[in-house]
Amino acid sequence: MDMVSNYDVMNFFVPMLIVGIGVALLATGMFTSYFGAGKSQKIGFALLFFGIVILALVYLMTFGGVDAIPDDTFEEDEFNEALTSGIAALGGAIAGMFIILFVLMKVDTVDDLEDLDLEDLEDLDLDEELKKLEEELNQTDENDNTEEEE
Amino acid sequence: MDVDIVISMGLVGVMLAMLGMGLLIAYYGSSKTRNVGVSFLVLGVGLAYYLVVMDTSDVAFWNSMLAFVGGMVGGMLGIIAFLVAIIKS
Repeated sequence: MDMVSNYDVMNFFVPMLIVGIGVALLATGMFTSYFGAGKSQKIGFALLFFGIVILALVYLMTFGGVDAIPDDTFEEDEFNEALTSGIAALGGAIAGMFIILFVLMKVDTVDDLEDLDLEDLEDLDLDEELKKLEEELNQTDENDNTEEEE
Repeated sequence: MDVDIVISMGLVGVMLAMLGMGLLIAYYGSSKTRNVGVSFLVLGVGLAYYLVVMDTSDVAFWNSMLAFVGGMVGGMLGIIAFLVAIIKS
């Protein structure tokens, strides 16, 4: 890759920023106008409208020959490169996340039970332990009774 | 050129996911997942090495990153605008 630092903000960052806003407004507008009711549905239609307007303006400025913004912003070739870069990087990030989730689901993520000292547990004689506890309880009861009598 | 952009920037996306998620998993993971997180980090660094040193395509990295970041920021601003509109109504 060409790592030389040549920042073309006006041809790469700004068009993608506007496209991002347009796509987000379009998507949220579609969602809200479909599932919303009453006032929120109206807001959804407004968002949808602004999303369509923004994307239509971007399309016209890039491919339709409308020079609303002076300077060489929204050049067709560079816009295509920027759009391809953004979508490819987003797709790559999503693919990476899927790979990570897949590996994490395949790997046994529970900590080893070997860390627990299960051999000690197996050696325990539960009956004996129970008897010991009962004896201790009886002793404490007896002590309490003698203290009360005194 | 377009195919080069798709391959290189797709790998950049995978690299970012590996480095980001690997860091989180390596830091917060349990004893087993921590090892997986570290291996993701190693994979991310390997991808970064490939992209910086071995990738011979003419894709302008910083301009492509600007486009990616611009799209992300634009998407966030759009969602913020949606939330503001819904909350204020």
